[in-house]
Amino acid sequence: MDNRAVFFFGAAVACMLLVPVSDGYAWVSATVAAVYVLLGLGSWLDARSHRRL
Amino acid sequence: MELSVILVIAVALAFDYVNGFHDAANSIATVVSTRVLSPRIAVLWAAFFNFAAFLVFGDAVAATIANDVVTQDVLSIGVIFAGLVGAILWDLITFWFGLPTSSSHALVGGMAGAAVAKAGFGVLITEGLRKIGIFIVLSPLIGLAMGLIITLTIFWVFHRNRNVERLNRGFRTGQLASAAAFSLGHGANDAQKTMGIILALLIASDHAAPDASTPLWVVLAAHTAIGLGTLTGGWRIVKTMGSKITRLQPVGGVAAESGAAITLFATSAAGIPVSTTHTITGAIVGVGAARRLSAVRWGVAGRVVWAWVLTIPGAFGISWLTFLLVDLLS
Repeated sequence: MDNRAVFFFGAAVACMLLVPVSDGYAWVSATVAAVYVLLGLGSWLDARSHRRL
Repeated sequence: MELSVILVIAVALAFDYVNGFHDAANSIATVVSTRVLSPRIAVLWAAFFNFAAFLVFGDAVAATIANDVVTQDVLSIGVIFAGLVGAILWDLITFWFGLPTSSSHALVGGMAGAAVAKAGFGVLITEGLRKIGIFIVLSPLIGLAMGLIITLTIFWVFHRNRNVERLNRGFRTGQLASAAAFSLGHGANDAQKTMGIILALLIASDHAAPDASTPLWVVLAAHTAIGLGTLTGGWRIVKTMGSKITRLQPVGGVAAESGAAITLFATSAAGIPVSTTHTITGAIVGVGAARRLSAVRWGVAGRVVWAWVLTIPGAFGISWLTFLLVDLLS
């Protein structure tokens, strides 16, 4: 897997870990985590398509 | 008003001045490094919008700083003075090393350190500190995601455009608007922190009721101080932000500043004191990462992150010692 996707998935995990302690802002942590999962997937697919070219 | 209160208000405004001076780089690093504006015009541009922020935003962040860091009963002139000294010294130390650390977190650490020196750890408000702590992690990540998404959107919208020179000219003009928006967000979030400290001081010295809103003269004084600080801004950090983390083109500057400005507008409206420094650094990394992860100089970014981690403990320690010294002398 490419480094960028790993970085984004790592950021998603960090945000998910914040959800239980975020009280009124848990939705912010969860939304940012979801965005990073999407970015990670996008980056992984991008790297995969580049390798195939 | 007693002389001691006036003196501490002057120190608070000095902190605001140093904040503008230290954080000027955040607002102007990208416009200067992409050569859209000369350094002299860039600081004037940023200072104007720093000052104008008081017309646009409320005082939700000021209320968080005044009420949610330490309990009201522990706040005294000595505690506020020691807290400010700790924050100013930490800002100057990191300025010397060219590190873009957060003046906001230095202030939070400073206030906490001085209050703990006076009355122990029981005076810290866990809820408020937790909110600030969570956004220490979230604000650079939100800035990074915003910078990256805006960059990708711009690339997607303009990918058929072959006239690169004309496109670059357009983005150079666009950077004026994005730098103005970021300076507005910076003025709103950062000047409010000093407003919060002065409000806490006025409450502690019985010059304002515990539920009072921020007086207009405090709002104007805080925005003037941060504007003046930006006007005399520091160049060491401009270099780190503008070229050491990743090389920026006008299109990247627009994306980074817009992403950071959106994050600051949202958090200012919600009353969350985030670091403008962390947000713009995250956004710049996001712009670099849109190309490829190796476009970001991770060694420099790592050094910056370490400075962030050390900011609250560093300012806490200096303020703690300062309070003990003030207490001993008085």
